[in-house]
Amino acid sequence: MLLQQLVNGLTVGSLYALMALGLTMVYGVLRVLHIAHAAVFTLGAYGGLWAFQATGSFWAALAAAMASAVLAGLAMERWVYWPLLAKPPIATLIASIGVFIGLEEVFRIVAGPQPYSLDVPLLLPDVRVGPVLVTAPQLLVIAVTAALLGALWLFIARTPLGLALRATSQDRDMAAACGMNVRRVVTLNFALGSALAGAAGVLVGIYYNSVSPTMGGVTGYKGLAIIVLGGMGSIPGTVLGALLVGVVETILISLVDFALPRDAWAFLAMIAVFLFRPQGLLGR
Amino acid sequence: MTRVCALMLAILVAAGGFVAGRAAAQDAIKIGFFAPLTGFAAADGASAKHSAEIAVEEINVAGGIKGRKVELVVYDDRHDSKEAVALATKLVEKDGVVGIVSGSYSMPSRVTAPIFAKAGLPVTVAYAVHPDVTKAGPCVFRNGFLGQVEGAAGAESAVKLLKAKRIAVLTIKNDFGLVAGAAFIERARKLGAEIVSEQQYPLGEKEFGPYLTKLKDQPIDLIYHTSYYNEGSLIARKARELGIKALLEGTEGIDSPKYLELAGAAAEGTTFTTNLNRDDPRAEVQGFLRKYAAKAGTGADMVGASAYDAVKILVRGIEVGGTDPKAICGALQNLRDYPAITGKISKFTKGEVTKPVQIQIVRDGKIRSFGVIDNPDVITPPVQ
Repeated sequence: MLLQQLVNGLTVGSLYALMALGLTMVYGVLRVLHIAHAAVFTLGAYGGLWAFQATGSFWAALAAAMASAVLAGLAMERWVYWPLLAKPPIATLIASIGVFIGLEEVFRIVAGPQPYSLDVPLLLPDVRVGPVLVTAPQLLVIAVTAALLGALWLFIARTPLGLALRATSQDRDMAAACGMNVRRVVTLNFALGSALAGAAGVLVGIYYNSVSPTMGGVTGYKGLAIIVLGGMGSIPGTVLGALLVGVVETILISLVDFALPRDAWAFLAMIAVFLFRPQGLLGR
Repeated sequence: MTRVCALMLAILVAAGGFVAGRAAAQDAIKIGFFAPLTGFAAADGASAKHSAEIAVEEINVAGGIKGRKVELVVYDDRHDSKEAVALATKLVEKDGVVGIVSGSYSMPSRVTAPIFAKAGLPVTVAYAVHPDVTKAGPCVFRNGFLGQVEGAAGAESAVKLLKAKRIAVLTIKNDFGLVAGAAFIERARKLGAEIVSEQQYPLGEKEFGPYLTKLKDQPIDLIYHTSYYNEGSLIARKARELGIKALLEGTEGIDSPKYLELAGAAAEGTTFTTNLNRDDPRAEVQGFLRKYAAKAGTGADMVGASAYDAVKILVRGIEVGGTDPKAICGALQNLRDYPAITGKISKFTKGEVTKPVQIQIVRDGKIRSFGVIDNPDVITPPVQ
């Protein structure tokens, strides 16, 4: 049963990772807490829902989710974060919270307050290994996450643009001094992070068969806890933190009949990290 | 000259009196109404408002109350206690309403009830479940069931109708969930069933893998859960995904077309306790279901039907007692055998309703009637 719970936890952790990566990447280059990322995630889910209703294809839904999320992320970068970058960090933080709340209400007004079903028929089988069952939706989440993370790693580690991205995240001014187009790198960074959040949105919508205006809330705040846990700005740290939170909260629910809601564990971990290892698990 | 003057004066007074009299007859009777029209509960708020409006339209088309039209004064409480207190004060001091209908959840109903009670205004509560709501005063009347009644009725259905012997209970951690869950367990044990597992989860839980994995390899006949449709549909899907074959039984929390949509094929065979029987042959019930579908674009739910009834019950009080709040209150305290669309109300006892509990079932993607629990031991509200 513990192995089964591990599968459950890894599935949830994968979704957290996709969501939190955008947060950590934006923090890496801009030192901004991108709260409105949760709205990008929700928009991705609605984009995917719309495309699925129009075409009935999972791939169209995934593409539309990522595309709509990228557009939203770039718009925020262009019109919210970049103009405010010279202001104190609190200004971008507050603007970000404002954008998030505003967009949630826009989703409610446009799509209605009720949740929509996103019932995508999956051609995947249930996989049974000994006593462990990986259901088709779990397989989908884990496979898509692994593919996207693999692609991200290849991009960052093996391409010149990826190098520029790493350099900018280490020292923005130095990167600019070396002739890198920092603005372009920041834009790229937002596009990548938003695409992942959009994918996370549509996957969460499919996995729980529900797309609603407020679906970004808890996931968004938990993403903040996860990037603190992993080390702000560290991509491997964020993935590790996300999987850890997913597995630990799942196993704790199954082992102890404890009255603390699952969402509390990530935040307790965040507080512990602040107290004992402020740089996070894999932070420098 | 004085005579002419006196005559003219008399005519004027008479005419004035006549005009004033007509105006009084035309003055609408105002009823206050509040529901969460924005925020996370907005879907339920919209359902309650649609249904309350249907009730008022029906009354006005039929000539109003003794010739006077009924007018609904609608407020949005946003499921926010500060907002609710503010709107309650407005209703009491400014709007001149003769009574209030709560189309909202427990929290706004609970904070506003004492304000209305203090002003002496009668309140009918559509579906809010918290026990404290009716304790605010003698003129608060609840159309919905208490958690105890629904839990016990669920046990009757599970053990007697569905013949379940080994039962797992999944309780949502809020007042309604805990009370209904405890009542279910007590009654099910009394009827001879074994409760093999009791688990609790927070409101808004999305991942039921950890809870249901625990039940996966046990021989269980039925899973009873006290969820709302978001959680309930996830429980159904996850259970079927994991290959759990046990029957699923829920409460009025999943009584919504949204449950069918979100759970999909996994909803098939689910039973739940509620007050709305879609297969009720009475013309007023079928008429409501039809009007609701036309107005809202989806099938009716428990929230809407209860709000419709809450308006009509208050109006019955006004028809019998007139527009004096005290008289309306007295009329409702003495109400007997009122044919609400959510079941025949025998009477109100300290504001709590006595009426049969409906068991509905999902069959071929539709909500149908499965049974009725009218055992007085179960449906009599536990108030002294």
